[in-house]
Amino acid sequence: MAHSQNSMEFPVNINTTQITTAYGHRALPKLKEELQSEDLQTRQKALMALCDLMHDPECIYKAMSIGCMENLKVLLKDGNSMVRIKTTEVLYITASHSVGRYAFLQHDIVLALSFLLNDLSPVCRGNLYKAYMQLVQVPRGAQEIISKGLISPLVWKLQVEREEEFQELILDTLVLCLREDATEALGSNVVLVLKQKLLSVNENIRSKAAHALLNVSISREGKKQVCKFDVIPILVHLLKDPVEHVKSNAAGALMFATVITEGKYAALEAQAISPLLELLHSPMTVARLNATKALTMLAEAPEGRKVLQVHVPTFRVMEVESHEKPQVAEALQRAARIAVSVIEFKP
Amino acid sequence: MTSALTDGTSRAPSTYTYTSRPRALPCQRSRYRDSLTQPDEEPMRYGNIMYDRRVIRGNTYALQTGPLLFDFDLEVKPVLEVLVGKIIEQSLLEVMEEEELANLRASQREYEELRNSERAEVQRLEEQERRHREEKERRKKQQWEIVHKHNETSQKIAARAFAQRYLADLLPSVFSSLRDSGYFYDPIERDIEIGFLPWLMNEVEKTMEYSMVGRTVLDMLIREVVEKRLYMYEHKEETHRSPEPEDEPGGPGAVTESWEASEFPEQSMSQTQGLLLDGDYVQRTTYDRRSSQERKFMEETELLEQDEESAMRRSIEEEELS
Repeated sequence: MAHSQNSMEFPVNINTTQITTAYGHRALPKLKEELQSEDLQTRQKALMALCDLMHDPECIYKAMSIGCMENLKVLLKDGNSMVRIKTTEVLYITASHSVGRYAFLQHDIVLALSFLLNDLSPVCRGNLYKAYMQLVQVPRGAQEIISKGLISPLVWKLQVEREEEFQELILDTLVLCLREDATEALGSNVVLVLKQKLLSVNENIRSKAAHALLNVSISREGKKQVCKFDVIPILVHLLKDPVEHVKSNAAGALMFATVITEGKYAALEAQAISPLLELLHSPMTVARLNATKALTMLAEAPEGRKVLQVHVPTFRVMEVESHEKPQVAEALQRAARIAVSVIEFKP
Repeated sequence: MTSALTDGTSRAPSTYTYTSRPRALPCQRSRYRDSLTQPDEEPMRYGNIMYDRRVIRGNTYALQTGPLLFDFDLEVKPVLEVLVGKIIEQSLLEVMEEEELANLRASQREYEELRNSERAEVQRLEEQERRHREEKERRKKQQWEIVHKHNETSQKIAARAFAQRYLADLLPSVFSSLRDSGYFYDPIERDIEIGFLPWLMNEVEKTMEYSMVGRTVLDMLIREVVEKRLYMYEHKEETHRSPEPEDEPGGPGAVTESWEASEFPEQSMSQTQGLLLDGDYVQRTTYDRRSSQERKFMEETELLEQDEESAMRRSIEEEELS
């Protein structure tokens, strides 16, 4: 039997990169003190320990209540890049939890983070984008980012960043921000930037860019800009993309853009009807839904109606099909019914 | 010190697991630290055999193969349990965190899709409504314009009919009023009026003047004759002093009386004098209107008057004398 006696030696430190955390509720206060220490190593080690601790939401709450956030904000401006990287990582992990997001909003961390957008270290920037992406998962976070005026810098960064991973992260952020409020983004030429990204090689970027365009064209101004910059032909081209989710997002963007008359005729000119009809048989439900809606929009124009009158049986089939989730099935059926009624409309 | 091991085993408390709280142990080690510069001493110096290098998995591969220090496999279990438990707890936290996020995102996305499709529908209907409304507005405006034009046209027609009727009456009235004010004249009549009649009047005047002149001349003749006769009479009277022919006294008397009247306008005479006054007045007025020809007559008559005045004075003197 082992007897648990303490040795006279200090225990072996298995992880030299981390500082030894105190036990229980003493951990965080001690870490906070160490964060403020003058020694660089201590700070770094403390940050590493903090990273591990922050996965627990209760810890985050505790950290907030003792005021760790202020320390972290100070550390963001630290000279050493390692410190900054670790701090941004801590903040990223914090933002994954709702308590953490609340902490972000309380302590105005978004603004402090934004100073690091032009940081030299790519890892640091990557963590920053990840933190933002986690933040905007809730509408309140997205509003915060918009109100701090960070959309234009983000759009600019989207153009400038070389790393595709970073581009994806920024696109994710933008997608969710644009859902909230697109006016500022429209002012900063987001449509043009997204138009470029639509033609990217990476399928994730294409799909996310199409999703972003979908959100942009919800507002009237966005629709007009989408038509003005001739994005619709590119979207129609994307409808023939091999990747499913790209197609569904492109169909969604078209669905919104064709509400206005210009959009309708631009789409008709770009021969959008046949790819959309193919999309009706796609395995993804959302693709089918979007395609149905887009075809409904197009059927309002007389030329579209003429072409679609032949395809009414397809919609009738859709009306009776079922899906495992009742809501989705109902939505599909309703969409198909509306499409049929629009196609067969006689003045 | 030496019996630390056996003492330790005999006094071992219940098994230590990962849930057990730390306890303060009774001090089982030497009060004073061994100096670290004595590594060659007996291994029993170390309180914790865990850190003793010579013990491998509970077995000291020492010369005396005695009983094992401890059974590794048995002892390792709780330790492992603690370790693994802690690791799994931490990783569970992390994995759950991610899973939660993934679930959240998935449900959000689903909701988003449905919402998007509904939104698109709403926007389509809105757009339709807007188009219909605009169309209605346009049609209404068109209709209003048509009605307006219609009204205007009918008003114009009414105005034109009225104006025509009014003007139809106007023309004859204008003509009649013009004719009444004499703007339409018969040229012959006008010509007669303008040309002929004045000439006629002129001629009539001339003729009358001629007769006047004739009369005046006659008057002068008569006067001359009378003067001569008077002179002859005076001559004869100076010689004979006899009355003269009968037909003359009335005449010269009348003449002298008339001259008296003319010389003394304040003396009002008989009708004949009045008449002669008128005749003189007419003469005078005609003299005024006449030319130099008549002025000569006038001078002569004035001369005659003067002569007759002197003659008259003489006659008066004579009458007074007689």
